[in-house]
Amino acid sequence: MSKNQVSRRQFLSYTLTGVGGFMAAGMLMPMVRFAVDPVLQAKAESDFIPTPQKVSEITEVPTRVDFKFEQQDAWYTSEVTGTAWVYLDDKGEIVALSPVCKHLGCVVDWNTDKANPDKFYCPCHGGLYTKDGTNVPGTPPVAPLDVYPYKEKDGFLYLGKAKPKKEA
Amino acid sequence: MKWNPQDIDMFLQSKEYVDTAVLPLLPVAISKDTKQAASMTEFISLLSMQLERQFRGRLLLLPGYSYIKTESIDKLLGDLKVWERELLENGFKHVLFLTSDSNWKAVENQLEGELIWMPSLPLVHMDEKNRNSLLEDQVKQLMNLFLQKWQSAD
Ligand code: FES
Repeated sequence: MSKNQVSRRQFLSYTLTGVGGFMAAGMLMPMVRFAVDPVLQAKAESDFIPTPQKVSEITEVPTRVDFKFEQQDAWYTSEVTGTAWVYLDDKGEIVALSPVCKHLGCVVDWNTDKANPDKFYCPCHGGLYTKDGTNVPGTPPVAPLDVYPYKEKDGFLYLGKAKPKKEA
Repeated sequence: MKWNPQDIDMFLQSKEYVDTAVLPLLPVAISKDTKQAASMTEFISLLSMQLERQFRGRLLLLPGYSYIKTESIDKLLGDLKVWERELLENGFKHVLFLTSDSNWKAVENQLEGELIWMPSLPLVHMDEKNRNSLLEDQVKQLMNLFLQKWQSAD
């Protein structure tokens, strides 16, 4: 037997260390990820998604803006369409509201209920919101519509992740 | 709402608000008309998913009823009636069957629920943009149908 040859014992110990190393890494990695994750998430949350809406074309009338983005759903990424109601408020500032009804999640529409003009209307159970997204008491929703943080880039509107409206 | 545990939790807590059940009818055929059956299944699945997104607070989208297209319609009708009974006896006011398969039209009047037949569109030959706008139109039509149904009932 030449000296360079790996003995059975050495071979075993190498492989076991190797495998053990993998196993340890396999166990440690998720732990490290858990520890670091809040940082990663904070980054993901600040991601703004481009919309086809030109900022210069936003008016006082709420307009529906659709935008596409990739959504990761467990191990499966899919392209989903998001929607926002976008308009300028009295101060000329942009407002972007989530269309998801705070009652049970139907999609609300602007100004579609004849009995209640200039309101966001939920066709499912008659939920109503005023233009600024405040829920009208006496209708099922118990919270105002979520608000998208926004950014302007190259003349286009970018939207972040919709958040519950802060109590005024 | 969809047929998954999270949505069903919500459903169980707010049953009184969910009065509509939607059952997509999804044909399968291996011996003949295979591709046609696949197109119908895809089309109806896409439509029902969009519909659920719009009206998720008021309707429960059931997993589809898939069936062998060459099976006799009487046998299939019998099965469908089992679904229908389960749903109507358990609090749903509106039961809607969504299909592209015209065989069902022959037995439509024997159902208590409502059969909605939408001709399946040849989506495979379209680019994404056309495909989406086409689907959107169809979803709008469907939504109007639902709104009318709800309005006449409320
Ligand atoms: S889901 Fe909007 S009012 Fe119920």
